[in-house]
Amino acid sequence: MNVALTEIHRSFGKNEAVDGVSLELGPGVFGLLGPNGAGKTSLLRMLATVLPPSSGDIRLLDRDPGRPTARREIRRRLGYLPQSLGYYPSFTVVEFIEYFALLKEMPSAAVPKAVAVAVERVDLGAKAKAKLRTLSGGMLRRVGIAQAIVNDPDLLLLDEPTAGLDPEQRVQFRALLRTLGETATVIVSTHLVEDVGTACSEVALMSAGKIVFRGTPDELTARGAGHGVGDAPLERGYSAVLSAARS
Amino acid sequence: MISPNEPGRPASAQDGVDLGRVWTSVAAQVWRRRPGRIERTAARLLRSPGLARALVTTPSLLLPWLISTVVVFGAGALISTGPGQPLVWLVAPAAAAVGIAFAYGPGIDSAWELSSSCAVSHWMVLLTRAVAVFALNSVLGLLASAASGAAMTLTFGWLLPMAAISSLALAAAVAARSAVVGAGAGLAAWVITVLAGQSASGQFTGSVTNAHAYPPYLAAAACCAAVVAYAARPERGLQ
Repeated sequence: MNVALTEIHRSFGKNEAVDGVSLELGPGVFGLLGPNGAGKTSLLRMLATVLPPSSGDIRLLDRDPGRPTARREIRRRLGYLPQSLGYYPSFTVVEFIEYFALLKEMPSAAVPKAVAVAVERVDLGAKAKAKLRTLSGGMLRRVGIAQAIVNDPDLLLLDEPTAGLDPEQRVQFRALLRTLGETATVIVSTHLVEDVGTACSEVALMSAGKIVFRGTPDELTARGAGHGVGDAPLERGYSAVLSAARS
Repeated sequence: MISPNEPGRPASAQDGVDLGRVWTSVAAQVWRRRPGRIERTAARLLRSPGLARALVTTPSLLLPWLISTVVVFGAGALISTGPGQPLVWLVAPAAAAVGIAFAYGPGIDSAWELSSSCAVSHWMVLLTRAVAVFALNSVLGLLASAASGAAMTLTFGWLLPMAAISSLALAAAVAARSAVVGAGAGLAAWVITVLAGQSASGQFTGSVTNAHAYPPYLAAAACCAAVVAYAARPERGLQ
């Protein structure tokens, strides 16, 4: 298992952001759905090893991220796209991706080619030497995706990756996700249920820090039959599960 | 976006040549940023190409600070506070404090969360950026001191105050998650220190030239470093 969580809790003061989540995941694309404040980002930050849990046990890539040497090894094999990427306006696309490839301790000799592959995979070849301050929001999101996949990670964590992408780019991105999920564990946190329906083999729905549903997109769709609110079947399943969890 | 099995432009193979692979190899060479001499040396010394890149890219991240430091040092070289006492000695610690406040930390570095998820420790990135700021500040300060004709031995007198004031600025910046707050705290602390040094020694540069002040500077630097270590913990920075 690339991800094994046991009774994970994370609180900020009196606010319990993540409340007893247990999860085991192998390779594949896993969708994390939920409303704002459900705890998705906190959970992803714990998986990205930037936020320790208040309690519970985490094992990533068969290692304990609580130990510094293991954490460093995990981070070498990790790709992470935060919700708020943050970027350096004076860097070019290639410089930014190279910088993070080096901080991930990729071998220097392998970096240029890995960066070129990542840039091409997100279709930013024409903007490779452009300064980040000149790019649109959607392009910056693709830069973020490129830095996340540059080290060919075994564990890829994407927080709202399709925010700012146009419909055509989102379709291409879902295809990229499916390919990456053949070998790696890809966890995608999103508000957009259509991303989950087409790209994810499994999905979890979070509400108030807990996982209130786990199954395939088809199973989530089935929950909405005759219930729920939404234009698409999957949206109706989403709202039906959330309503049941809140009641 | 393109499938990883076909990276590059025209991915078709013709006469045994995979054009996609060829394109990627060419792009890699065309796009790559070739490390300069300083970066290569730093990579060997630090045993980390990532930290070396963090070191050499720091000035580009702090360009406004760098420009203002050159201007301030230039003016400092031309103005003296007394016979053989250039203003550089007094502005050097303050200039470094401002640079450090803007260098790194939660709420200050836009890519801090991403950096925190990387194999190279974010503490090492912070230290590397601090070294870059100190090195630039020292070189510019030495040049300004030399230009002003001041004794070089005394020039190093501002290194310890610089460390203390910079630590304070960084601690305030990280605790408040605001570079402006950090820079303000550093500048205010330095003005108070300079005025206190003047009233104690009768000289405007007393805060730099008085060796008795060095232990308190070291103690202040250590205390502020501890505050930085506490305030920049990821669990606090991501709340």
